[in-house]
Amino acid sequence: MPNYCTVVLPTALKLYPPIVSLDCRCQVFYSLQFPLNLNFRLRRGSRNQKVSQLKAGFWESIRSGILKNNTTQVIEPPTTTEEEEDPLSEEFVLVERTLPDDTVEKIIFSSGGNVDVYDLQALCDKVGWPRRPLTKLAAALRNSYMVATLHSVKKSAGEEGNDQKKLIGMARATSDHAFNATIWDVIVDPSYQGQGLGRALIEKLIRALLQRDIGNISLFADSKVVEFYQNLGFEPDPEGIKGMFWYPKY
Amino acid sequence: MLLHNQISIALRTPLVPIKSTPKYNPKNAAVFAQQRNPPPPATNFSISDETLSSRGFTLHRTMDNLDLDHLNTVFVAVGFPRRDTGKIRVALEHTDALLWVEYEKTKRIVAFARATGDGVFNAIIWDVIVDPSFQGIGLGKAVMERLITALLEKGITNIVLYSEPRVMGFYRPMGFVADPDGIRGMVYSRKQKKKK
Repeated sequence: MPNYCTVVLPTALKLYPPIVSLDCRCQVFYSLQFPLNLNFRLRRGSRNQKVSQLKAGFWESIRSGILKNNTTQVIEPPTTTEEEEDPLSEEFVLVERTLPDDTVEKIIFSSGGNVDVYDLQALCDKVGWPRRPLTKLAAALRNSYMVATLHSVKKSAGEEGNDQKKLIGMARATSDHAFNATIWDVIVDPSYQGQGLGRALIEKLIRALLQRDIGNISLFADSKVVEFYQNLGFEPDPEGIKGMFWYPKY
Repeated sequence: MLLHNQISIALRTPLVPIKSTPKYNPKNAAVFAQQRNPPPPATNFSISDETLSSRGFTLHRTMDNLDLDHLNTVFVAVGFPRRDTGKIRVALEHTDALLWVEYEKTKRIVAFARATGDGVFNAIIWDVIVDPSFQGIGLGKAVMERLITALLEKGITNIVLYSEPRVMGFYRPMGFVADPDGIRGMVYSRKQKKKK
């Protein structure tokens, strides 16, 4: 895989229809009702973690990606004002479900950028990306304008305080903070693909960038995922403008 | 100047067989742009710093003394939209590398280019402009060569840009390749969002 492939997703990615196992009872949560106790080895300095509530508008846009049929419960969110939400640092539960072994799993979205680089490297290994030095990975995350993550938090039935937290997705954007942003390194754990999570990740990232008035959002897509991004609103070669790479290593 | 091939590149597991490539020969630079080895470094700029200086041009590598209104004027002259200078300042403050050329006689900016990125893996080059009255004499190339060298010196090996169709011939001889391996540049468009 070329080392410049920045938005490569493994070929097993399926987006629609999303797969909802008939074995688990799924409940979709809108508001985070308790603070999360998540330990990270690397914190991005200036971001504050703030628990905030989802807005109905955003939820509508990803609901279609996560729900397959009416057997899944959807909880309508309380209305929230625009000002309460800091789009650069949000955290909320995307999905909550009970697994066959009675474990409760929550998929949590966060744009605060708290990523453990060891977890990230393990995730990159899972999808088959070439290894990159950890210090450089950490620096790249620090220098990114926004880092969005998906974590799975599992609680065993009957056990108190025994959470299993796992990084299952990430996307980041670099930007000049004014005009342009470019999305890199979009990644979803293969075991969590096909559920609309990648789509949710990008949609939220885009929304946060647009809210910051950054009008030009771009990315470079491997040929296999061009359609994925088209479905999210990206256009290849708009007006004939082409992405060019300097001496790419094939 | 650092040699490009001395900059350590992260270890990669080659997933594709590595093809052998011929040695770089400056005479067939345009053809070589299609090959995979980058050129030798900066001591071989097409126009040297001294030549630029002797022709009355000064190179700058920081925002200091850059008149943003003059910059905006050049943007408009080449067909970019006029932009809020406050926003331009913010953009330049969050830029990894920039280069501009000043014409001594008028004390005005005549060429400019900048690059944003994460500072370690990727850099994207934006806003490459040359005042129309000064085009065709090598200033754009001079700015690009130095910008690329500055990025390589930081260890950034993935250097990309978005090129309008009519200037692809400007970037190609410098070593830029469009859609390598089928990778497409994509831009978010609010107008045509599809929902599935």
